[in-house]
Amino acid sequence: MLILSRKLNESIVIDGRITVTVMRVDGDVVKLGIAAPADVPVHRQEVYDEIRRSNHEAATQRTGPVPRLSPNRAAQAAQPTKNRWQDRQPQPDRAGHSPNHIKANIA
Amino acid sequence: MNCMEPIEPRDLGVGAECLIQMPLGLLGFERFKSFALVTNPEEEPFLWLQVVEEPKLAFLVMSPFVAVPNYQPEISEEDAGSLGLQNQEEPLIFNIVTVRGAQQATINLKGPIVLNRRTLVAKQVIPLNAPNLPVAHPLPIQSN
Repeated sequence: MLILSRKLNESIVIDGRITVTVMRVDGDVVKLGIAAPADVPVHRQEVYDEIRRSNHEAATQRTGPVPRLSPNRAAQAAQPTKNRWQDRQPQPDRAGHSPNHIKANIA
Repeated sequence: MNCMEPIEPRDLGVGAECLIQMPLGLLGFERFKSFALVTNPEEEPFLWLQVVEEPKLAFLVMSPFVAVPNYQPEISEEDAGSLGLQNQEEPLIFNIVTVRGAQQATINLKGPIVLNRRTLVAKQVIPLNAPNLPVAHPLPIQSN
């Protein structure tokens, strides 16, 4: 593993297209800013590992019986109306930003 | 389900098959990009996310709102943007189910799959509120 020392506001560049910047240091919490192209997924390790493990557990073949939900739940219709991501987003004073710019700000 | 038209949630219940693309793959299965959403009326509300390149690999999925009506994953602006979701455009959300025996199954609410119904491009996203969402939420399974 490559180990580098960085000060506040200093960065490292990976592969010429990913920049990781130390935004803030507060005790044992380091806030990093990551600028990466949209095709480079950036995740917190523990959450990524948890979902990856769950995906592996769920992987199966399309054979055998599928479980049946209890009728009271199965009868409920899909209700996606409370899930509109756009309702929760800040309204567009950020229009000038490239969507690829700051991809994640991992605290 | 007519794949040439935008997919409506109500369409996911009639026996049909629809090709979708996941350019980043599923977490842990990043090499597979093409999937078929396969529905079978007898298996409602479940449907299959079948890996096109690997016939022996599939994932049971379902609309999370059937099991958890108040489910609210907070999809980041970056994820919405990378899927090309425009303002007012409602994505289709489904989540992976793990069958853990004849009478036990769970749904992963931490890593929903978000599908742009217009482009048929999807992504398994990690919502902003993922730390508060269970990775294995129990489903009410009928015991016969």
